[in-house]
Amino acid sequence: MDYLIFENVSKRFAGFGEQSDVVAPFNLSIVKGEIVVFLGPSGCGKTTLMRMVGGMESPTTGVIRLEGTPLGPPDRRRGMVFQSYSSFPWLTVEENVAFGMRYRTDLTPAAKRERTQHYLNIVGLTEHAGNYPNRISGGMRQRVAIARTLAAGSEILLMDEPFGALDAQRREVMQLELRRILQIESKTIIFVTHDVEEAAFLADRVVVFTRRPARILSTIDIANRLGAARTLALRDSQPFFELRNELLALVRSTAEEEAA
Amino acid sequence: MSEKTRNAPIAGVLFGVALLGIWEAVSRGGFVTPGFLPAPSIVATTLVERVIGRDLLWHAGISTLRVWSAFLIAAAMAIPIGILMGSFPLVGRALEPTIDFIRYLPVPALVPLSIIWFGVGEATKLFLLWLGTFFQLVLLVADDVRRVPHEYQEVAATLGAPRRRALLDVSFPAMLPTLVDNLRVTLGWCWSYVIVAEIVAADSGIGFVIWQARRFFKTPEVMAGVVAIGIIGLATDQALRWLHWRWFAYLRR
Repeated sequence: MDYLIFENVSKRFAGFGEQSDVVAPFNLSIVKGEIVVFLGPSGCGKTTLMRMVGGMESPTTGVIRLEGTPLGPPDRRRGMVFQSYSSFPWLTVEENVAFGMRYRTDLTPAAKRERTQHYLNIVGLTEHAGNYPNRISGGMRQRVAIARTLAAGSEILLMDEPFGALDAQRREVMQLELRRILQIESKTIIFVTHDVEEAAFLADRVVVFTRRPARILSTIDIANRLGAARTLALRDSQPFFELRNELLALVRSTAEEEAA
Repeated sequence: MSEKTRNAPIAGVLFGVALLGIWEAVSRGGFVTPGFLPAPSIVATTLVERVIGRDLLWHAGISTLRVWSAFLIAAAMAIPIGILMGSFPLVGRALEPTIDFIRYLPVPALVPLSIIWFGVGEATKLFLLWLGTFFQLVLLVADDVRRVPHEYQEVAATLGAPRRRALLDVSFPAMLPTLVDNLRVTLGWCWSYVIVAEIVAADSGIGFVIWQARRFFKTPEVMAGVVAIGIIGLATDQALRWLHWRWFAYLRR
């Protein structure tokens, strides 16, 4: 049942003085196919946490296990979607998606072409296949990054505030899109944000972190309360409001701690 | 494009023409002796005469050949070494102080040494031009690599790219537009050094032509040589800009 496990994981950076502890030791277990949102104030260390899962940083103490095996350097089982610089500007949309399979030797060129078209279609970018990232919207660029990661065959998608640079409308569309895509392609997601509504809308489970050094303040099961289907109508419903307020109160309590 | 920027080329031409007009008037009006400042029309006539009747084109070709051979050697060395310096901090820290030291040595100061080492033939010119560009370019390349967003490298790594492949497949194309810009700028410096080298030790090239003309006080010919360099420089620069515009169309919205 346990898929991705954090065992006593902490992170300390040298040379930061008293602020050197970025993540205090904590434990967390993530189930396969779960959408987990890390929610917390900006700069609290949640990004560092995600980078440890990606293999770009290693934990100072403890171990992160994927299906029992401690995680090593980056590989394509764990794909990243960044907020900016998420797609390669010198490649077309199609070439960007195909880049996801560039280092896969298990696929024939024909299979790669087929997969490229398949994932372009899933994210709804078939019409823009020949365009360069500069000529499409920010939301579309994030779709490119998602399609590329899916094409690579990543099992875990690590998304670092991927919709943070989009305006409110586009962000809402992309949140719906992400849920829709994940119904077609079941993946485990770790999604980092400081946007309370985004967390409530996207997550199966929200993990709220305190300010630096990040500790888990609370873990809230959303799937139980909102169900699996996320629609725009849900955003106006009473359960969603309650949940949002609950999360907001938690985030505010960490902010007050900081102000005090 | 706004009204202002659209009119910019016209403004540039107008300014140039006005300047030439004033120069012509000053020279023709007898305010200075023609030997000191010949009128632009005379310089232009001399330029055309020397191109058609004599050997200016040949000398310009020699200079261009010198510039490009030294420049290509310098670039072929600076690009890989710069990429290594920018990608691997240890290499960067090891090489940077030495390169920085040599970079600050003015090329003309090294002309005597170069003549002692390489004589007065082509080797000296190549060496001086290489010296003037390689050490500048290698640091520019290293900086270009460092400025590539680390996200690109990390995305490549999470797609299963080995470090070296990521350098080639991601860092290199990411830095290419700035690299081409830097090559364009350093090529311009190369032209300054070739003239220095040709003035000091040469029997051919535009620098030699200018220096010969000065000896016999043929001021129009001196100026024609200078103008020829300007024209070649402008043409090369525009050509490289155009290539940049063609190759990196993806940067435009």
